[in-house]
Amino acid sequence: MAEIVAGIGLPHTPGSPALVAREGPQCETARFYAEVAKHLDAVKPDVLVIFTDDHFNTFFLDNFPTFAIGIAETTSGPNDQTPMPHYKVAVPVALAAHIRASVIARSFDISLVQDFEVDHAVMVPLHFITPHMKIPVLPIFVNALAPPLPTSQRCYALGEAIRAAIEQWPEPLRVAVIGSGSFSLEIGGPKIPPGERAAGTPDPGWSRHVEELLAQARIDDLVAEATTRRMLAAGNIGGELLNWIAMLGVIGTHKPVTILAQHNQGHAFAVWRWS
Amino acid sequence: MSIYAIDKLCRDALHDIGFREALKRDPADAIASRDLTGDERNALLSGDIARLYQWGCHPFLLAYLTRWDLFGITPAVYNQRIHTVHEDR
Repeated sequence: MAEIVAGIGLPHTPGSPALVAREGPQCETARFYAEVAKHLDAVKPDVLVIFTDDHFNTFFLDNFPTFAIGIAETTSGPNDQTPMPHYKVAVPVALAAHIRASVIARSFDISLVQDFEVDHAVMVPLHFITPHMKIPVLPIFVNALAPPLPTSQRCYALGEAIRAAIEQWPEPLRVAVIGSGSFSLEIGGPKIPPGERAAGTPDPGWSRHVEELLAQARIDDLVAEATTRRMLAAGNIGGELLNWIAMLGVIGTHKPVTILAQHNQGHAFAVWRWS
Repeated sequence: MSIYAIDKLCRDALHDIGFREALKRDPADAIASRDLTGDERNALLSGDIARLYQWGCHPFLLAYLTRWDLFGITPAVYNQRIHTVHEDR
């Protein structure tokens, strides 16, 4: 039977690969990703499931799924001109098809995408934690950017349904689950701080609060507090917290073994393990 | 309103390098064939980010324009103009 061996939460700032290439492995962002990579290596996953939000690259507003699952032999990216290497990675097709069927049977009407690339929200985290790209990756797309967003309760429940599906998988398989995204980030909207940039972190206090709830394993409180209104008050990209919440739905309620925050950037790096 | 067309235009500026180069060379000519109202065309050509945002264009896509200073919108100009929007959407 397949087992879930770790949960991981990460940011996917598009500038991070170039920043780390410039500043070296001792810069904070490099060290934080390296800490997560160390834990991931230790749990020896066979497969990664990543909850991600497409930034209008894989999909567009003509056809924008609330939830979608990527089922193909391989995927590649980033497909959005993020300055970083371009990667190709395998997708666990049979497991993905099983998860799709299983969650639809549990009343989650998830969309299917079979010919797709992925953007920086998948490839920036993978670039840092599995740069060899030898672990197959199953992307689950969550609409975190184009309101109306799914509710936090629905995302958590989707995670629970995916957990049930994984646990029904008959073969031995070690699965690690990733939630990708920020807690507070505004791009192009009026909440950006005054200055020279078109992006910023309007609500580091919310980022700090989310970290506290995660650290204390107060997941019910997090899900209850993460209304669309509250998340978007922290920035128009604040809905990316939903990717973390879906990941938490898969792993259940545990305290993280590490959580490293960059609240001035509205995000954190975290790992949950239980063995 | 053809807000979808403006969102699409912003996305094309990222993904379609030929279109992006055309926007740099001659913005009015580059958007001539796009399905936009006169007001929308004028708002784009004058870099009126606040109006485009208030009409419902997605800010993540609008912000692409600053990557190449399209329609004269530098990041600093964008920042200044978006702050003339006061109400929350």
